[in-house]
Amino acid sequence: MTSIQPDLRREPLRYRLKAFFSKPANLILLAFLIALTVLSLFPMITMLTNMFTVHAGTEKKMLRISVGSWTMNHFQMLFADREWSQANFWTPLLNSLIVASGSGLLGILIGGTVAWFITRSDLKCKKFISAVFVFPYMMPAWTLALFWTNMFQNSKVGGGVVGMMESLFGLCMPEWFVFGLFPMIMVIGLHYSPFAYLLIGGILKNMDATLEESATILKASRFTIIRRVTIPIVMPAILSTFLLIFSSGFASYTVPVFLGSATRTFTLSTKMRALIQAGYEGQGYIIAFVSILLGTLILGVNQYFTGKRKSFTTVTGKSGQVSLVKLRGANGVISAVLILLTLFFAIMPLVSFALESVIKQPGNYSFSNMTLDFWIGTEASAYETGMPDGILMNSTMWMGLFRQVGLALAVAMIVGTCGMLIGYACVRRRGSWLSQIVENLAFFPYLMPAMAFGTIYLAVATSASFKWMYGSFFLLGLVASVKFLPFASRSGVNSMMQIAPEIEEAATIFGVPWVARMRRILFPIQKSAIISGYLLPVINVMREVALFTLLVPYPRYLLTTMLFSFNETGYAQYGSAVTLLIILIIIAINTLVNKLTGASFDKGIGG
Amino acid sequence: MPQIILEHVNKRFDKFVAVDDLNLVIEDRGFVTLLGPSGCGKTTTLRMIAGLETPTSGRILIDGVPVYDSEKGINLPPNKRDIGFLFQNYALWPHMTVYQNIAFGLEMLKWDKKKIEARVDEMLKLLKIEQFVKRYPAELSGGQQQRVAIARTLAPSPRVLFMDEPLSNLDAKLRGEMRTELKRLHTDTNSTFVYVTHDQLEAMTLSTQVCLMETGVLQQYAPPLEIYNKPANIFVASFVGNPTMNFIPAKVKKIDRATVDLEMLGKTAQFVSSANIIRLGEDALVGVRPEFLPIREGGKLSASIYSTLPAGMETTVKASCGDTMLTSVVFGSVDYAVDAQVNMDVVGSSIVLFDKKTNRNVGVGTLTID
Repeated sequence: MTSIQPDLRREPLRYRLKAFFSKPANLILLAFLIALTVLSLFPMITMLTNMFTVHAGTEKKMLRISVGSWTMNHFQMLFADREWSQANFWTPLLNSLIVASGSGLLGILIGGTVAWFITRSDLKCKKFISAVFVFPYMMPAWTLALFWTNMFQNSKVGGGVVGMMESLFGLCMPEWFVFGLFPMIMVIGLHYSPFAYLLIGGILKNMDATLEESATILKASRFTIIRRVTIPIVMPAILSTFLLIFSSGFASYTVPVFLGSATRTFTLSTKMRALIQAGYEGQGYIIAFVSILLGTLILGVNQYFTGKRKSFTTVTGKSGQVSLVKLRGANGVISAVLILLTLFFAIMPLVSFALESVIKQPGNYSFSNMTLDFWIGTEASAYETGMPDGILMNSTMWMGLFRQVGLALAVAMIVGTCGMLIGYACVRRRGSWLSQIVENLAFFPYLMPAMAFGTIYLAVATSASFKWMYGSFFLLGLVASVKFLPFASRSGVNSMMQIAPEIEEAATIFGVPWVARMRRILFPIQKSAIISGYLLPVINVMREVALFTLLVPYPRYLLTTMLFSFNETGYAQYGSAVTLLIILIIIAINTLVNKLTGASFDKGIGG
Repeated sequence: MPQIILEHVNKRFDKFVAVDDLNLVIEDRGFVTLLGPSGCGKTTTLRMIAGLETPTSGRILIDGVPVYDSEKGINLPPNKRDIGFLFQNYALWPHMTVYQNIAFGLEMLKWDKKKIEARVDEMLKLLKIEQFVKRYPAELSGGQQQRVAIARTLAPSPRVLFMDEPLSNLDAKLRGEMRTELKRLHTDTNSTFVYVTHDQLEAMTLSTQVCLMETGVLQQYAPPLEIYNKPANIFVASFVGNPTMNFIPAKVKKIDRATVDLEMLGKTAQFVSSANIIRLGEDALVGVRPEFLPIREGGKLSASIYSTLPAGMETTVKASCGDTMLTSVVFGSVDYAVDAQVNMDVVGSSIVLFDKKTNRNVGVGTLTID
């Protein structure tokens, strides 16, 4: 009797395991569970321990204890030392919070207003405004920052370089307008306003017009309707948009670097890097940890708001028959202002970079001051430009571009494939604890500001057992893959949700093997979603700076980090040239995406 | 008292004509149904009367006041028309509780709080939704949401109530219940109802007048039974009534005032109309409602059973008579074997004769088959 019992217990388990592994979705989930745990939790733990250990260099010299020994000194210094604490933690934190909330409000104000005009009024030239308005969102945020300095810097502030406004109109803006928190808020807010426009506009567009019409019939005025009906209904969306812009603004590194360096205005991200570069790694890691905590908190708040019981649910009705608000006389003025503003922020940066990249003496826009040396100059003109040759003639630049493109393609391959597989597996096993864990793990890197994420991997790469990784192309690829996975896995899940399981099951009944089912049925159906899943990471990598800046072996290793070194060393023309190059590449990729998938950023909102 | 008049109302979306030269008088305290297949312009008509849509041309008067006049440039917004509107998808505000939803319109009228409370209570009782007063719409079932929507619409006591397919999102059983209640509400509230539906049964059972439309053109505007018994044309005859009327092709042999000699189903027949017959060509269609085509022994028409669909209370029988498929409804449950031979008769005085070319009704009367 006793010999049978263990068998009885063992058999079901064996069968259960066999059944479990016979489903490809389970295998995929298990593989990702292991990989993602290692790739996000392990660095996290490394970072945590680094907050309490002594690093070589400044820390060792200061503390006079051996590298790697435990210490609470980083915390003491960052929080207990009053002056140091104020300068290196509290002020940057406050600045970050001001920039984040300011840009969140600004982004919503601009994006929401435009969204309302486009979806709810009879504004002229809607299609044009909508298309041009979202354009700046494609460009990296720092291009707008660079544009801002190009426009407004003047002889009285910062390095005293003459900008366009001064040169053309003799306009000298005060320092607070050119550098510091105000321009940071303006730039980040403007950069993310298309994002707010897309989210709020999407909801306004889908929101049933009868909700507003029924209020009209009950004799509510237009203003009352906006206040009592429209805004409360889109409020959860507005809040979550605010929080997303807030967290992006909080994590932003490049914009504060461009606009804060001149006045030494630090945010947490720029402080993090400054501390690490100054040899205070431990404190840098603490700041990274604080940023991650805040990111998590913000996302939690977001989930709370979007999950409430009176939350907005789309009820499809006859909303095609929405009656648009007539702007009457104001129509021409409002559309003209919007067109001018959108054109200014979409087209002017390109013009400005093109101009800045061909003038010898900054601030002098006369024709005699122009040269193409910064683009195609050779050794002969080195004396005038201060560099051996123009960027198109420079092998370092080409190597940087080559590496960046290579990195982008490699990351796209990895991220696109992983996102799709995660999407497939999570949707097929929806509701199981495994799929929930994997989905959350894949989303986890989103919570971490890019700078903090780079910091974590720096901590790993500088640890003894992973020294070989430091400064390698492999490390950059790995970091970028993990960091950009959240978007890919989200879009993978969303696109797979559209396919009813019966479609795959019908093939399973015919005995079609899994690989063939994927290749012949699921991929073709979701072709455009999958293509954009592969192409989005390309754009992300092409414009990423913060993630790579700590991890590249030397600043000119990649095109984007090279741009920063140009800027720090004062070669503004080269910086502008490289920026223009990057923007053009991104536009080219985006056009390719549109052509291949027929999807555009503002699809379905404008007109 | 509100009487609604539409004069030469047109609505075009670009080149597509949604409503074509519509003339309509909706009597005070009537229950008028705008009936028709989807895309026939009925919702557009309703929205134009309510002011949610602007006609391309024409004139609309509510209670003698022109609310829209293309020539004089008058176009009152919906909130100035003193109306109520019940939307197909209820359009309840998801961020307000049931109470807030119902009270909103009263707040807009600047009622004082006590009065609002009393009125909301009254509405809650009337629609039997007192227990949901603190809930949000998302927490209610479809039927409950529907009741809240009705309460919200009725609260300010509009003198005209517009309803756009209000029952189409409910399941069959609830739809039946709400139908009864709507009819009851109509008497209780003493107001004019204008109701859009594509369900002919709803139109038949609820309304005092049915306005049947097709592709933007008014087909017939009459009380439901008149529509049923004296359809103006073949479209109306086939749209109203379930199962559909039989249309039996016939050759016209001789017309003599109110009498027509016909050749149909391989037999000769005589149609006697209640009035003189004019505008009838060579080809005609004889319209016979299924209930006027009983199956009985000794019937003049012989047919073979195609299929039998017993529904308990009545049975629908399809039988072929030569090349023509005929539908008959028999009271009670009967079952016929497939291909069984039966005899049928045409009875009653509500047989309709249509001209095949113009599709028009040329006479209603009796048919005797020789």
